Amino acid sequence: MNGGEYDWCEGSFGGVRRRRCLVALVSLLIALAPGASPTIAAGGDATIAGMVVLPKTRSAPVINKRYEIVAHGGVLSANPPVAVVYLEGVFPPATVPAVTQITQKELTFIPSLLPVRKGTKVEFPNLDHTYHNIFSFSPAKRFDLGRYRAEDRPVPAQTFDVPGLVTLRCDIHEHMRALILVLDTPHFVITDEEGRYRMERIPPGRYVLKSWLDSKTTKQSPVEVAAGATLNVDFR
Amino acid sequence: MNRERPLVQTKWRASAARWLFRAALLLTLAVEARAAEDFLDAVEQALSFASSDGQLRARFSGTVELEAYTFPGPAPWLLQSDEGTLVAPRLTAFLDAQWGPHVYAFVQARADRGFDPTDGDGEARLDEYAVRVTPWLDSRLNVQLGKFATVVGSWAARHGSWTNAFITAPMAYESLTGMWDTEAIRFSTVLLQWSHVRPGLPAAVTAIEKSLRIPVIWGPSYAIGAAVSGELRRFQYAFEVKQGSLSSRPEAWDDMKGVWEHPTVSGRLGLRASEAWNFGVSASTGTYLRLLARPGIPAGRGLGDYRQTVLGHDISYAHRHLQVWAEVFVSRFEIPVVGHADMLSYYVEAKYKFTPQFFGALRWNQQLFDTIRERGRFREWGHEAWRIDAGPGYRFTAHTQLKFQYSVQRGDAPGRKLAHTGAGQFTLRF
Repeated sequence: MNGGEYDWCEGSFGGVRRRRCLVALVSLLIALAPGASPTIAAGGDATIAGMVVLPKTRSAPVINKRYEIVAHGGVLSANPPVAVVYLEGVFPPATVPAVTQITQKELTFIPSLLPVRKGTKVEFPNLDHTYHNIFSFSPAKRFDLGRYRAEDRPVPAQTFDVPGLVTLRCDIHEHMRALILVLDTPHFVITDEEGRYRMERIPPGRYVLKSWLDSKTTKQSPVEVAAGATLNVDFR
Repeated sequence: MNRERPLVQTKWRASAARWLFRAALLLTLAVEARAAEDFLDAVEQALSFASSDGQLRARFSGTVELEAYTFPGPAPWLLQSDEGTLVAPRLTAFLDAQWGPHVYAFVQARADRGFDPTDGDGEARLDEYAVRVTPWLDSRLNVQLGKFATVVGSWAARHGSWTNAFITAPMAYESLTGMWDTEAIRFSTVLLQWSHVRPGLPAAVTAIEKSLRIPVIWGPSYAIGAAVSGELRRFQYAFEVKQGSLSSRPEAWDDMKGVWEHPTVSGRLGLRASEAWNFGVSASTGTYLRLLARPGIPAGRGLGDYRQTVLGHDISYAHRHLQVWAEVFVSRFEIPVVGHADMLSYYVEAKYKFTPQFFGALRWNQQLFDTIRERGRFREWGHEAWRIDAGPGYRFTAHTQLKFQYSVQRGDAPGRKLAHTGAGQFTLRF
């Protein structure tokens, strides 16, 4: 995540497989094919970079182990706050739906914050030797995957068609939380832990640049991007 | 009869009106809580604390519950009310604290109308408090001291209002037997009277007997004690030494008089055959009489001769949206001179999530009693009892839930008639 841009091929959000890279490449080839409608990849070469002032570090959750004979996961690593920066405007729809993953490992969702474009399919592989039961009551996506094991195939997945914030929880492990921010734009990045971000390959035009910090806090700034230019926008 | 009918109708209408009001109140609460979802999320975050290095972390949480019961006959199980209905609000506060990877502590405090709902005044209690030390991170050993739920069986781990598919406990945990913990039995006839098998119990005693009787296991059995537990591959073990038997009542759980004079020893061995299947065997033995029963004990006998021994077996299965639990307990109450009062109690319970928010649950419970010798004949020392529990539940949000329960029971009610109970419970957790 250095540099602040989400690297689809490296899988910076953790646990993302090479398959996603393949999907992105196929999307790119389709997009560049003669007669194809313009997409993100066919966009411009402008860049927006800057800094988002992040809230103070939140404390890691305490696991409720009152009635657990066996106490797994004594200390969870702190989850430093980051922001999602995205560009709002009019963009052509994605030609190939993206597929990505949120894994469950050591009773934690990885990543704990995942921005996706509307229409993205998210898989939820269980990498623990215990059941997980992911559910969401969020208006943007309401689902309950039931209890499933690491070996269960196909890996349970959901397609996120409605923009908005989706809170993931586990019905068995109440401390587990993750957020999926469903966006109606192909242009978004996650900041690094210092708040730095860099969004590349922006087509020229007028947009609204937004910085999402939490469910209550989204800052915004109108921007005009010229071809080949690098724009600096900070959110304080 | 004709004169009584208008009275009965009026009473029924008043009762129906009260229930309509309560249902409306529960629904309003649910809708309001839905609107407050963001606020509850914020509260949840605000109630977590950590030291600057992250080693000491604490989280306050809790539930606000509103329960209502209706029963045409006497109050069933552990409920206490003469009104035919009972409303029981409850505030439960939890503290979970972690100090590094090796020390964990928790507290559960409640304010309500009694541990088991009554129509009496409100009270506040510390129901649980314990410290757990985990010397190795692989969980081969945990040592816990304090006041906490029993390790016997599998229901205690899901007895909270949010996790329990029903509003009440299975019969083994709340159905009162004919045994008392306040007085030693000297003749088998007395036990048969206490358990309503034989008539002749004085009216004055009948009026108060419910407060004297005990079940096989009293709810989650939060007695003071110490426990060791751990996991070795697929096997789990847990042993505890507590100052009250499984059947001991809440007042006895932290009664420090004569503590450790007659400790109760319990244990459970579990096998996690797979993520879906879990098996366990439990055993417990301890004195079921309280200290105040000592004056009535025959010469040459002591409290330690009046033991309750329980053997249990539990099985659970879960996959996708289905969860099934079953437990069977064989309990023996030793009564010097009279003999052993043995009984068996079991239940099978299933819960299914029909949608992400809507679920239903069904439970079959049964209790069977062995015989004791009375006047040269062998007679069962209790009425066979069974109960069917059924109920839907709905989670409005991740913080609010509404459950209903209907139960029909055949037990030792007058005339061995069926007893019907309805209940509703709204839970808001933060």
